[in-house]
Amino acid sequence: MTRLSPLSVPYRAVQRSASIVFALAFFAFTGGTAFGGFLGGLGSVALVGVVVVAIAGYELAYFRRFEYELTPDTLDIRSGVFSRRNREIPYRRIQNVDISRNVAQRLVGIAAVNLETAGGGETEGSLRFVSYEEARRIQSEVARLKRGGTEGDAAEPEQELLFELTPRELAIVGALSFDLRLPGLVFVFGSTAFPIVASYVDVPVPAGSVAAAGVGVVALGLLVALVSWAAGFASAVVNYYGFRLTRVGDELQYERGLLQRYNGSIPLDKLQTLTVEDNPLKRRFGYATLLVETAGYAPSSDGSNGSGGGGRGSEAAIPLATRDRVLGLVADLEGVEEPTFEGPPTRIRRRYAVRYSLVLGAATLALYGANRFLPQEIPWFVPLALVPVAVVAGALQWQHRGYALAENHFVTRNGFWKREMRFVPYYRVQTVIERRTVFQRRWRVSTVTADTAGSISLVGGDATAVDIEVDDAAELRETLNDRLREALAARREARQQSRQAALGIRAAEPGRDPDESDSGSTPDVETDVSETPEFVEEAEPAVGGDDEDAEEVGDGDEAEADDPFIWGESVESEPGPEPESESERDDGAENDDDTESDSDDGDEDDDADETGDAEDEPEESSDERGAI
Amino acid sequence: MNRLHPRIRLLWVARAVVFALVVGGVATAATLFAPVSIPSYVPVAVGGVFLVVGVAVALLRYRAWGYEVRDDSLYLQRGVLTKVNTVVPFVRVQHVDSTRGPLERLVGLASTVVYTAGSRGADVSIPGLTPEGAEDLQDRLKRLAIASEGDDAV
Repeated sequence: MTRLSPLSVPYRAVQRSASIVFALAFFAFTGGTAFGGFLGGLGSVALVGVVVVAIAGYELAYFRRFEYELTPDTLDIRSGVFSRRNREIPYRRIQNVDISRNVAQRLVGIAAVNLETAGGGETEGSLRFVSYEEARRIQSEVARLKRGGTEGDAAEPEQELLFELTPRELAIVGALSFDLRLPGLVFVFGSTAFPIVASYVDVPVPAGSVAAAGVGVVALGLLVALVSWAAGFASAVVNYYGFRLTRVGDELQYERGLLQRYNGSIPLDKLQTLTVEDNPLKRRFGYATLLVETAGYAPSSDGSNGSGGGGRGSEAAIPLATRDRVLGLVADLEGVEEPTFEGPPTRIRRRYAVRYSLVLGAATLALYGANRFLPQEIPWFVPLALVPVAVVAGALQWQHRGYALAENHFVTRNGFWKREMRFVPYYRVQTVIERRTVFQRRWRVSTVTADTAGSISLVGGDATAVDIEVDDAAELRETLNDRLREALAARREARQQSRQAALGIRAAEPGRDPDESDSGSTPDVETDVSETPEFVEEAEPAVGGDDEDAEEVGDGDEAEADDPFIWGESVESEPGPEPESESERDDGAENDDDTESDSDDGDEDDDADETGDAEDEPEESSDERGAI
Repeated sequence: MNRLHPRIRLLWVARAVVFALVVGGVATAATLFAPVSIPSYVPVAVGGVFLVVGVAVALLRYRAWGYEVRDDSLYLQRGVLTKVNTVVPFVRVQHVDSTRGPLERLVGLASTVVYTAGSRGADVSIPGLTPEGAEDLQDRLKRLAIASEGDDAV
């Protein structure tokens, strides 16, 4: 059992009492007719003193009752002054270990440690505070123990510096960043302050001078751009000063920050998606940004992870590097190159152009309406001049959209101003969602989303192939599902083999899976299998049968895409693999409760029977494909 | 492709009717207290439009809904204006609920909810099942999820 750093007591006490004491003092000394008058000046001071002592006492108790321990399998934390909590976090479930130190903490030599696991809205393990050395030790120990390194001699795996931000690149990062929050604040403040200022300074507003107003708007726009650019520059420098990304064994580690230093570790096997992001400027000069996503970060915990990210998950990635380098790193980490993308059909260009033109049309209409009610003439037709821009914008948007099925990854690309290229390993796909809006159905296109367990996705959107042909979409949907299963099977097999090799049991022979699972070398798998054999049979040979299914479904979609009642018809007409159970099920659904559940059961049995024969064949094909 | 139980239409239509009544009521109140006089047929018309659209959408939704328990995944299709097809691989199923809301109990139906670790569509719900059907489905999905052995769900 280890305690926190003793220095954390005064630090926490000061941190906590500063705000309370300030509020109290403010209340007691200024407003205090009811309160301060009752207590008197001396009484107020005494009250503040009591509060400070109470806080100090609480923090001391907190320190004394906070213990943590790195056991062989779990990180145990026992904490709580009034209500006690014992928490055990298995190392295997830890997604990230983050260390942060602000200026004051750096002076005192302490650090805050956050341990993130997947799920949950909060940081699961939080140590406030330990010494910096201890924080680093926890970070490396967690990594070592996670590998199952009980012997301790495997300490210090080789470090490889992947990326270091040079001052020049830092300057470019700053120059290319815009932070719109500060101008937003200024705007809110300015809009409230303006009438007040105007009442003091009696500006003679020349009546009817549209030009002056226009100049004012342009000047204001420039000012906003300048301020946001300056703010972006400052925040980029503060965030990314001294950025380093290293690879330590099977983890990525980063450090960054000018005032507040962050150290974080990202286990490579917890990577969910990689995103390469750029904008027209970065593209012009051949730069790009890399974002790394794990499932660990709580969506709203931007305070501790990425200041300025607004819950963007880990910003542990590369803020800016040449495009080649970013893609090289992606290839290093995931073994995937930038693929050639398959874009939406060319007719979609028109869809985008129409969409933007409609926006312009609406703007024109609004201006026209305003024109009729305003005393002065305003140029309501100006937006119409932008229609060519809409066409170009549509073409650009079309051009930058696309998706690709790489060997082990689903890759998508979207956006012109902020172009994002996402790499999703197949085995990280959670669900596949295909959707068609009314408008998309008019254009016979569809959008396919591969959902992952990441966190950037909450705000930034998942890997999405937008506006692809309807039948391509149906096929893509099924392909993703198949590849997910194949990738998982391959991984499972690899793991099993390595486990067996580690245990010194006979080497695993590919293609003999069913026998092996009987051999008893993998107890967890085996128990499942023996309990529900029929389901294993059902689930495994799915490759062959499922492909057929998929195509039929896809064809049906395409043929009757315009018909909103497609499902009603296609049920009867679909030449499914088991026509009997199909009709049976249908009847059940139409008629009454009992037959429906019955038919479900019947269907199950049918599946098991039918697939039993075909078991060997698809099994092998799945192995082959998985091994590729 | 399995259809939902036809009785779910009752639930959805009833919901649409209630919503239309509420809207109509609000519109009536607005008419009564509005400073300018509004013809009395306006709130009725508003309520009527909501009623017709709501009922139509409810019926179309029933026609659009379908699900299928495949060998390796659960497949759903639904949506009136926006058609949504979802594939939930069994490997990814975290847990399965079967629920019965008060209104569902009234018409003797139940739903099954499938949870994954995904960030969107993390829970997929199949309404309009008979209670036995929902439990069967839950049980079946559970066993299929176990059999497909998702070692690393995240």
